Amino acid sequence: MPTVILLDLSLSMTRPIVSGDNDFQRKHLAIQGVSTLLDYLAAHNRLEFTALVAFSSLWELVVPFTRDYKELKEGLNRMDDYDKTCIETGLAGVSQIVMDEWGVGLPCQVIVVTDGSPGVGKGSLKESLERFYSLQHRHEDLSTEGDEFPLPFPFPSKLHLVCLATTPEVQGVLGQLQRLVDMNGGAGGVHLPEGELSMATCQALFSKLAETQFPAVAWTLKCGHMSSEVQAVPIVETFKKMYDFGPVVREPSLEMEILGFLDSKDIASPAVISRHLVLPKPTKTEKEVSEGGGAASGEGDGDTAEHDGKAPSFCVLLHGSLKVESMVALVQLGESWYGFLYSWADSKKKSNLMLSVLEPGDDAVSWLGKISQLGPVASSPHNPYGEDDTMSPYPVRHADKRSYAQNTTVWIKPSGLQTDVQKILRNARKLPDKQQTFYKELNRLRKAALSFGFVDLLEGMSAMLERECTLLPGTAHPDAALQLTHAAKELRLAINKDYDDNIAPLQTHFSKSDND
Amino acid sequence: MAAEGSAPKIFPSSHKTVVILDHSPFMSEPCGQTVDFDILPKQSRAAPGIIPLAPLAKSLWTCTVEAASEYARVVYDVYPPRSRDKLLKFVITDTEARPLNSWVEEEQSLSNVLQGLAVVGPPSESDDAENCSVMHGLAMAVESLCEGSEKQLEHKASLADPEEPVVNKGRVVCITTVKSQGHIQMLEECMQEAIVQHNKIAEAADKLPITHCELVLIHTVPVGADNNIQDEPNKEVSSLLSCEVHSVHSGRHIAAKLALLVQKHFHLTSTTITGIPMKEEQNASTSANYDVEILHSKDAHIEILKMGSTSQGYDSSGFACSKDSFGRETVILKWCTPKTNIIELQYCTGAYRITPADVNSRPSSCLTNFLLNGRAVMLEQPRKSGSKVISHMLASHGGEIFLHCLGTGRSPLEDPPSISEGTGGRVTDYRITDYGDFMKENRLMPFPVPQEGHILPAKEAAAVLERTTRYWPLVISDTIIFNMASHIDPLPTLITKAELTEDEVVECQKSIYHLVGMESRSEPLPIPAMGTRGKGPKRDEQYRQMWAELDTLLRAHASTSVNHQKVLECLQEIRRPAEEAKESSRKAGKKEEVVVKEERVMTEQSTAELAWQEIQRYKAMSERERSDFEVGNTNNDHFRHRQQTEVSSPPIKKLKTSLEDSQGKQQGGQPSLLAIWTSRINSRYASRHCEFAGRLTAEGNKAELYVNLNKDSTNGTSDKPTSVKQEKRGP
Repeated sequence: MPTVILLDLSLSMTRPIVSGDNDFQRKHLAIQGVSTLLDYLAAHNRLEFTALVAFSSLWELVVPFTRDYKELKEGLNRMDDYDKTCIETGLAGVSQIVMDEWGVGLPCQVIVVTDGSPGVGKGSLKESLERFYSLQHRHEDLSTEGDEFPLPFPFPSKLHLVCLATTPEVQGVLGQLQRLVDMNGGAGGVHLPEGELSMATCQALFSKLAETQFPAVAWTLKCGHMSSEVQAVPIVETFKKMYDFGPVVREPSLEMEILGFLDSKDIASPAVISRHLVLPKPTKTEKEVSEGGGAASGEGDGDTAEHDGKAPSFCVLLHGSLKVESMVALVQLGESWYGFLYSWADSKKKSNLMLSVLEPGDDAVSWLGKISQLGPVASSPHNPYGEDDTMSPYPVRHADKRSYAQNTTVWIKPSGLQTDVQKILRNARKLPDKQQTFYKELNRLRKAALSFGFVDLLEGMSAMLERECTLLPGTAHPDAALQLTHAAKELRLAINKDYDDNIAPLQTHFSKSDND
Repeated sequence: MAAEGSAPKIFPSSHKTVVILDHSPFMSEPCGQTVDFDILPKQSRAAPGIIPLAPLAKSLWTCTVEAASEYARVVYDVYPPRSRDKLLKFVITDTEARPLNSWVEEEQSLSNVLQGLAVVGPPSESDDAENCSVMHGLAMAVESLCEGSEKQLEHKASLADPEEPVVNKGRVVCITTVKSQGHIQMLEECMQEAIVQHNKIAEAADKLPITHCELVLIHTVPVGADNNIQDEPNKEVSSLLSCEVHSVHSGRHIAAKLALLVQKHFHLTSTTITGIPMKEEQNASTSANYDVEILHSKDAHIEILKMGSTSQGYDSSGFACSKDSFGRETVILKWCTPKTNIIELQYCTGAYRITPADVNSRPSSCLTNFLLNGRAVMLEQPRKSGSKVISHMLASHGGEIFLHCLGTGRSPLEDPPSISEGTGGRVTDYRITDYGDFMKENRLMPFPVPQEGHILPAKEAAAVLERTTRYWPLVISDTIIFNMASHIDPLPTLITKAELTEDEVVECQKSIYHLVGMESRSEPLPIPAMGTRGKGPKRDEQYRQMWAELDTLLRAHASTSVNHQKVLECLQEIRRPAEEAKESSRKAGKKEEVVVKEERVMTEQSTAELAWQEIQRYKAMSERERSDFEVGNTNNDHFRHRQQTEVSSPPIKKLKTSLEDSQGKQQGGQPSLLAIWTSRINSRYASRHCEFAGRLTAEGNKAELYVNLNKDSTNGTSDKPTSVKQEKRGP
């Protein structure tokens, strides 16, 4: 996930370090620390985007989101000193930068590097917090426009407040800083260097932050006995969401186990919570990719470092076949947590293996049915894909139909009723050919009239059918008149009859002869 | 808007809603609006002078029922009853209260409610108005809310502490006509009292006390009638009850009010799709543009709502958000003429069920039918400037229409390294096609819920993958046997099965014998040319590798079943020198188990060594055949023919007669490979014949067979009549 580093450049950051013989400012510590973090990212998370923002009473985007770590470091060295700390302004800046770049769907890391001085007067931490609570109270009564507090961020995020100060120095402010983290949903935290303030302790602090927040997580991609060590970029985060009946928390199991395969068109763009590139992990010690694979390839594969590109990887094979066949591999990521792998191309030339993570749950994709009930085609007596691969068992159809998929009657607007009445009359004029449709529509009207307690309509419809009977042209089929009279009579009687007691066509001499 | 756009709370009131419909005589009064139902077509063929029938007047009851069923239709469409998330219960109240359905899934449907309403029928003016009261309905609503829904009961069962109370919230929508402000007061008090009383009972009985209830009172009067009741915003009556009052005229007004409330109650919002081209007539050449309004979860517009409130790019100038005459807000999205087929995977951040706001209007049904027929359509945000932003997609899946939210922001995955740059990226001879076939064979399909004691289909799928990948070389140059499918089939397919029938074992053995035959004729193996230096390994070395690979494959599967083990044994036996095979088979007759164990612990090298010896032997043997071959090329065909007929096994019944013939054909001296093979086949079929005879005399088919076996040896594995024993019994 993209990272925004928000650096405090207020005057208080120029304070020299009290202890130690070097002439360091806190700003230098901050720059050195951020540089440590960038070095780590350059080594382990080259594909992540990072932006550098400076703030005091105003904010400024120093380096926009980039993977160019050199540029970020150069940005660090261009920092000037400004006036007072105004953390709310800084956070508002971050919010705007992220929204402009990524929108609201993408999780971001926000790392604020400050000296823990809360600022004074308007824009100080204390004043900001007070304003936040007053806003919150007003929100309950009526929604306010414009005057919004930047927290919580509109996008999912982790907020880290790195305080370059000793614990006694910021004793009073820690609570307030923590409250900022809590306001943003609680992810992240307040970080202080251990012990005294020095170059070493600050570097240690940033290294630790880098390692905990950007861990190089290795996944095992498995398909039966075939496996491959892979890395998911960006890392798959722990899933946390509040549902109607409580929170759901899922930890990624670090094992992507393939359950089976599906055609791309069958999985049909389901909702996903995140997407990750799946890259084969460069390994020093070559892992046997399939059981017994070594036997055939010979044993003398000693020097593996240069073999990295040449040693076959299951992950690459899988990608190749998924791409050729336009298929996806359904994988399990944790307890009742699934995702799917497919070939994805950013440009025409470069394609990659992509993991889309589904929301945890057995019915994450309604049209696949319950995922735990997907089984191997081989276990079925007949192949649901058909002999020539033209059929598919998907989408799974559910027994209950939605209102728009059946003939729902709504007469709230007069046009609804008029259309239904006209439809009956149209069919009435084409009797006896349209007899079936005529009675079907007539019964639909009858049922709706009974449900809505609209009995006058039955009387009215009956009268219309009688009139229609008198208007029949001389050339009309004699059965038409009989059916119309019958329907008109039955419609009147329906008021006192059962809901399910459908009006049946009159068995006439003509209809019988038709049947013969 | 920002506050409303926030995510729904835990244990929402919308989980259970009771809709109370007042069925007292007053409701039979006309609503004050009439509906023209007899519209004469313009070009009426009817004789002039026909007077249309008088417009009909709907009663207050009809308007109420229509509005309430529309409320239910929207809820059931957007939250299908099978998800059991949002439940509705209808209660009719007059001199008593009658429920039309219950919380259980089967009774949660619009048709069920409509049928119930038909049974109740419209209120009658002659009913006893004095004893009619909406209070009966309120009491029943409270009682119903105390009943746990299926989900609530599941939640209760899942709680670690059985004493922990289940949060039980609900909403009561009551449509009635009140007499005065004081009447409302009285209803609130009645409701409060009912909750307190029922909560007491609920604790004793096995029910759920109400944590909080929201009463939505809708006061309705005929259109044009005096209305002295004021709307009241939501207020907390007590910690258990909040109440709000909506005062509306009947007719279309009450329907509009409920349409607004259903959005508020169920976290819904409206989208209007504009510019949908529709033909006026079938085969018309021109089309007019229509708009269709749909309802769906507010979450589908979370991006627009959040961006709208904080960013300038989406303010009212670019992002249209209009209000209709009833004060409904709607988001405008533009129809993008669909491509023929949208099958590519879209990056989709959410998919939400929709329902048309006006389900049976012509534009709505045109749109829904278009989508239900399997087409999908992209929707674009209307913007005055800037690039085109396609933010949503409408598509149906299994008869349900979904609004998909597409990722519109910049992707952090842009410009990734190609997979060919990483580990294994430079390997060019992956078995892509073979793995493609493997994937097709391992596609998943939905299975019904397994019965008690049966494994889940997903577990079964995992077991299949486990079996089929025990030996699966990744690249072409790593395998010989998988490059010679025409020679070795169907063995590689059969061996991965969970069970092998006797016939399949024979099929596998035939494949092995075929390879033996190939080796004896020194046929070249289809070794891929790549990756080998110079001329590549010699032919016998190739065969050595092939046998070793086959051994690896069969070994990997030997543990699956006894019959799999048999196939491996066949391979091992065939590759042992003929005399030794005979010798060991005699020994094996006595202590078979030991032999099997020994064979299993045999190392790769010793088998390879064995194979080498065999090859030498076979070489010597094939010398003569080669001389045969060299006698004259004209004899070729004859030779080939003989080979083929003997390699392909003759049908079982014929075998018995040809048994001696084939033995007679053996050319004396040391047994040839063919002899080993035929004797083995013979013994197998002979044993089969024996079994058949046994069955004839036995009472049960199996019983007789088992008895014989048990007499022969102490080995208990009854369904494992090994070749060794059969040989002993055979001739």
